[in-house]
Amino acid sequence: MRKIEKRGVFCLILAALLGLGLAVFCFQFVLDGGDWASYPYNRHLYSNSGQLKGGTILDRDGDVLSSLDENGNRTYYPDADIRRATLHAVGDPAGNIGAGALTAFAEKLSGYNLLTGVYSPLGTGNNLYLTIDAYLNNVAYQALGGMSGTVGVYNYKTGEILCMVSAPTFDPADPPNIDPDDPAWDGVYVNRLLSANSIPGSIFKVVTLNAAIENLPDLFSRTWTCTGSVEIGGDVVTCPYAHGEQDIEDALANSCNGVFGQLAVELGGDTMQKYTDAAGLTESIKVDGINTSQGHFNFDGNDNQLAWAGVGQGEDTMCPINMMLYMGAIANGGKAAMPRLIEKTTTDYGLPTGLYFAHKSSKLIEEDTADTISDMMHNNVIETYGQDRFPGMDICAKSGTAEVGADQTPNAWFTGFLRDEATPYAFIVLVENGGGGSSVAGTVASKVLTAAVEKGY
Amino acid sequence: MNDALQRLLDTLTAFLAENPLVGAWYTTVVRFVFPILALMILVGAIRSLWKVKHPDEVWGYLGMANGVRLPITHWENIIGRAPSCDVQLEYPSVSRQHAALIREDDGSWTVYDLGSKGGVTVNDLPVDEYAVVEDGDTIAFGGIPTMLVPISVEEKREQMVERRIEGRPAGMWGSLVLLTLFQVLTALQLIVAAGDEATVTIPLTFLVLTLVCWGYFIILRSFRRIGFEMETIAFFLCTLSLAVTGSTVPDEMPKQLVAILMGLAIFLILGFFLRDLTRAQKVRVFMGAAAVCLLVITLLIGSSQGGAKAWIRLGGMSLQPSELAKICYIFAGAATLDRLFNKRNLWMFIGLTGICGACLALQNDFGTALVFFVTFLVIAFLRSGDFATIGLICGGCFAGGMLLLTIKPHVAARFSSWGHIWEDVYGAGFQQTHTLTAAASGGMIGVGAGKGWLSGLAAADTDIVFGMLCEEWGLLIAILTILCIITLAVFAVRACRAGRSSFYTIAACAATSLLVFQTCLNVFGAVDILPFTGVTLPFVSNGGSSMLSAWGMLAFLKATDTRQNASFAVKLPSRRELRGEVD
Repeated sequence: MRKIEKRGVFCLILAALLGLGLAVFCFQFVLDGGDWASYPYNRHLYSNSGQLKGGTILDRDGDVLSSLDENGNRTYYPDADIRRATLHAVGDPAGNIGAGALTAFAEKLSGYNLLTGVYSPLGTGNNLYLTIDAYLNNVAYQALGGMSGTVGVYNYKTGEILCMVSAPTFDPADPPNIDPDDPAWDGVYVNRLLSANSIPGSIFKVVTLNAAIENLPDLFSRTWTCTGSVEIGGDVVTCPYAHGEQDIEDALANSCNGVFGQLAVELGGDTMQKYTDAAGLTESIKVDGINTSQGHFNFDGNDNQLAWAGVGQGEDTMCPINMMLYMGAIANGGKAAMPRLIEKTTTDYGLPTGLYFAHKSSKLIEEDTADTISDMMHNNVIETYGQDRFPGMDICAKSGTAEVGADQTPNAWFTGFLRDEATPYAFIVLVENGGGGSSVAGTVASKVLTAAVEKGY
Repeated sequence: MNDALQRLLDTLTAFLAENPLVGAWYTTVVRFVFPILALMILVGAIRSLWKVKHPDEVWGYLGMANGVRLPITHWENIIGRAPSCDVQLEYPSVSRQHAALIREDDGSWTVYDLGSKGGVTVNDLPVDEYAVVEDGDTIAFGGIPTMLVPISVEEKREQMVERRIEGRPAGMWGSLVLLTLFQVLTALQLIVAAGDEATVTIPLTFLVLTLVCWGYFIILRSFRRIGFEMETIAFFLCTLSLAVTGSTVPDEMPKQLVAILMGLAIFLILGFFLRDLTRAQKVRVFMGAAAVCLLVITLLIGSSQGGAKAWIRLGGMSLQPSELAKICYIFAGAATLDRLFNKRNLWMFIGLTGICGACLALQNDFGTALVFFVTFLVIAFLRSGDFATIGLICGGCFAGGMLLLTIKPHVAARFSSWGHIWEDVYGAGFQQTHTLTAAASGGMIGVGAGKGWLSGLAAADTDIVFGMLCEEWGLLIAILTILCIITLAVFAVRACRAGRSSFYTIAACAATSLLVFQTCLNVFGAVDILPFTGVTLPFVSNGGSSMLSAWGMLAFLKATDTRQNASFAVKLPSRRELRGEVD
């Protein structure tokens, strides 16, 4: 008998396995419960048409961007332009915009919590304050003037994203019939600041410059003569016109392809890859839990391809938010605050339901290099873009014009940052098929930054 | 009665319709109360089971030549040199496992020679295979003489008194009151949730259940039984089952109530039947045959439901014979110690398992086949203790299982979606993702019985009932439900320490393992920790056959409870015996 009794341990092992599995489930429940609950088929949180039943979304000033009326229908901001300007931050009723707050922050809006689940006696839904300003978004949306693209402005000291516009856009209160094959609606559900990759064009020269400063000790004593075209690796690298004799500072201000192409080849593919990775351009980051898209760079080609890659023209793509973060890091001595979208969340009665802190990025650039590049980018504004377009701002910038196809107008880029203590903003502007970087994207940036500095956050 | 209830219900629903806030606040408050009540009920049972010792029963002594008396503490005892023996004789001439000394129901003893080198003699006559031993007879093991000494009447009485004190369970009336409160609040909550659609079925079925709980306790108490921990746990789980049924298909509540009553009846009948070991032994072959018959008949005249041909429909009733076959199978698999030394018996059991497994495979019911297989492993291990053989069997079955995956696409599909459910939330991962979403929606305390949406899905009250528990009752009660099953398991194994016969120990361990493993498959299948198999959660899932089988399993567990006066499955000494009027 005693033997058989001992063999009864087998049952205890089974029971222990049941307990262990239960513990695993509880662990997952605590960790992922909020995600599990936030699926559109969850009738506690979503109506039959898949709309979130609870929650109010406000901007940083407390303007209500989306709420529920007394019948339980979702409503949006009264002004149609602001609805369009904040569409990608707020989200659409059908939930097509995955990075919109209605979808991405559903868990926080619904008032889901571990103790009482989705059902709360304290009213339905929470208030979620975004870091964006609806007014600034509208300025950016108007400045884009119906073109596709994106505008991002964020505070590199606190991480708050002040402006996040993506176009094409539509009115969530009156969603149009969207033909997926219509090029005018291309990527309408994608937030271009967070979730789409584009060819960087000349704004990528900042990364090449970063590598060159740290690897070529005589960089600042060198001079180049640009004839408008130079042969690298058996094929030509061309500039729009001959820049003539120039040092590195002039070459950046002129955005000379010849000079930066040669630098990229001299540095080599491995070094270029190293600095691109260090700048964070190949990394997906999390903006309050939203995974941004990941950049792709390849420096393994022949010398000519490497030269074009070094000036940002070719196959390589990156997500605009990464470049904006890199700009913040240059402005902030190597590390910037990670971009974030949630200012605070509260219950209906104003009790906070979560804590939101600024997090610093890893070191994206050496501090000395960052200071040097800042000065050179400020020089760009003085020499090329025109300080009078940015009145009263200590601004550092780089424009870009990215070729996107033989028969298409290039994409216009303008990125950089303000060095003022009171307005520590990094920004990025992309105007798809807009044309010249400085002339088109720079104008958008000028309007948005002027409004931002005027309002002062 | 019905009319009075109906009027009461009408008044209540009218009041709730006029004051919707009252209902809302009732749900809000009561869902905090339920986990506390459930915890108190379970803690009461656990505390009682934990505190109580299972003192050895002494059935006689082996008197040695030097005057030492070795107690005989089981009905079935191995005597030998090895430390694992029940009575250890440390003499070189005694084999490691020398002999078995077994008590018959009438109190007589039989000694079996287990192929010892030194041989066994009774009153100096060599024992060939076995011999009956009388009190006072001299039994020699390998030449070491011992005398079988019966336990005296005084000793017996003292032991009984001592056992009654040590093994006294905590009072059960408190738990019963808590359980009743739980049932009343549940019925009210279901009415609040149903609103205008509430029918008199809800209060009526709960009322009957409450009355049955009280009736059971009172009747057994009047028969001087005092241990009710297992039944309290089972009644608690049945209450949840009735609530889950009320939330999904209120019309089936009476059916489920009848299933609970029938389960209770099976529990009592089986428990009484197991009292008499000789009788239980005799029907083993019949039980084995019944298991095969049930499965074969299903194969012949059964109808399909959810992919498995596991149902027999008789008129308006549908029955899942494989559930009842589980009881028969365990009955057939358990064996007394004297039979364990006969290899042929194990082979017959392996044969029975093979036939059952084949029938279930042909029925396409792989979840149940898996439950049978694990039960088989437990029984085979308890009977033989042989890891090598069991390893071999497992290896063979693993190969068979792999083959199955290649020829049965729907089984393979469940394996391929395992761990990838979020990639196809409306397709292959539908049941698990919806279970998890609903489960998370409940948080710790649930959204309130009858207020969930998972109940609208297919198999909500059976295969994914764990999700319903989490959603409507909260994670805490879902955890407590699983802890109930674990408590039953731990208690059964603990009780086995003082087991009388290996028949009870093997049956209880097999039944425990079956309950635990089935719970694992149900719960972990629903939440994607294991592949989805579609078996029921014992006591909780809506379904008559499953309820009967769960109560049947509980009877095997109850039969190991040998605490004085605790269990009806153990004969009480008569009052005459207690007074010491018996020699």
